[in-house]
Amino acid sequence: MTFFSGSILAATGTSISSLSIWAVTIGCGVIILAAAFAIGWIGSRAVESIARQPEAGARIFSTMVIAAALVEGITFFSLLICFLALYWMR
Amino acid sequence: MSLGTPGFHFVASVDFNPLLPSQSAPIFTISVGGCDVIVSNHMLVVAAAALLLLACIPVGTRPRRTRPGGASRSRMVPAVPAGLANLIESICVFLREEVARPVMREHTDRYIGFVWTVFFFVLSLNLLGMIPSEQIIALLTGKENHFGGPATANIYVTGGLAAVTFLMTHIYGIRQQGFGRYIINFAPQAPWWIMPLLYFLEIITAFVRPFTLAVRLFANIIAGHILVATFLGLILVFKNYCAAVASVSAVVAVSFLELLVAFIQAFVFTFLSTLYIGFSVSPEH
Repeated sequence: MTFFSGSILAATGTSISSLSIWAVTIGCGVIILAAAFAIGWIGSRAVESIARQPEAGARIFSTMVIAAALVEGITFFSLLICFLALYWMR
Repeated sequence: MSLGTPGFHFVASVDFNPLLPSQSAPIFTISVGGCDVIVSNHMLVVAAAALLLLACIPVGTRPRRTRPGGASRSRMVPAVPAGLANLIESICVFLREEVARPVMREHTDRYIGFVWTVFFFVLSLNLLGMIPSEQIIALLTGKENHFGGPATANIYVTGGLAAVTFLMTHIYGIRQQGFGRYIINFAPQAPWWIMPLLYFLEIITAFVRPFTLAVRLFANIIAGHILVATFLGLILVFKNYCAAVASVSAVVAVSFLELLVAFIQAFVFTFLSTLYIGFSVSPEH
């Protein structure tokens, strides 16, 4: 992380406090934890229901993909806010 | 910026920003009526995707006719589509039957053109972003250039796509139901004293939905490109061949995932646009 933050600091010319780097890193970890749980639950329930009813496999698969993409969407909003916080907190 | 601890041999200052390859670079400037319009590489990629689709889809879906069993020319029947026509037709039929018809029911054929356009346009933008045309042209001609880049990794491009979806949702709804009915059906039926709150919430939802469309597509695509750029930047950090082999194989694996994400995000963008248009043309409440 320090490899690139040095060049980003030099490129943008701002000073980023180490507290904000800590906060962003821990925030990203928590976000990924929640997203991993959510997508794992979606996947496991989808696999269970395909096992119960194999002929509905295609519909269940596309529903799973849509739900996982929606969860990923909100994950990326929060990751973007975490990343922007690097520049908001000086 | 060295780390200051003894025994640490890595050179920690590298002049590489992994965010840089996904950003838009100006190519030339044209002045229109007094103001200068800076044309960037993402704008050129959007134009290239539009021209590609305008050229390939009519050519691919030309009506083909065949003569069954050597019949005369006057008894030709439509041929089963093959090749590019089969690909385009199977995608279009899937979008019409599995995505649009459950939501829009009787209005499917009226709005399916927009749904097909959104899917093919977003998909071609995502896939053109996966082609490293800047580096290929630099290898062939030896000159540093910025032709090509991930257009959907630009929030303004995805914001524009979402804005078009927003406009078309409301235009289709007003055209279908009439302006008065559209406003009345905007919020579900509830006791009169709660209706202002419901309208307030529905208006917020109407603006948040295209915003989420834009940010979801933008963040998914740019995350993949930043990941690839970071892995390739590790070669600059470690500066040896082992790191290069590991890094390039990781980039290949991540690129496969990125291709999957390109298709999935185009599908999700299209599915949600279809859902919003379906909600606005047929009052769901």
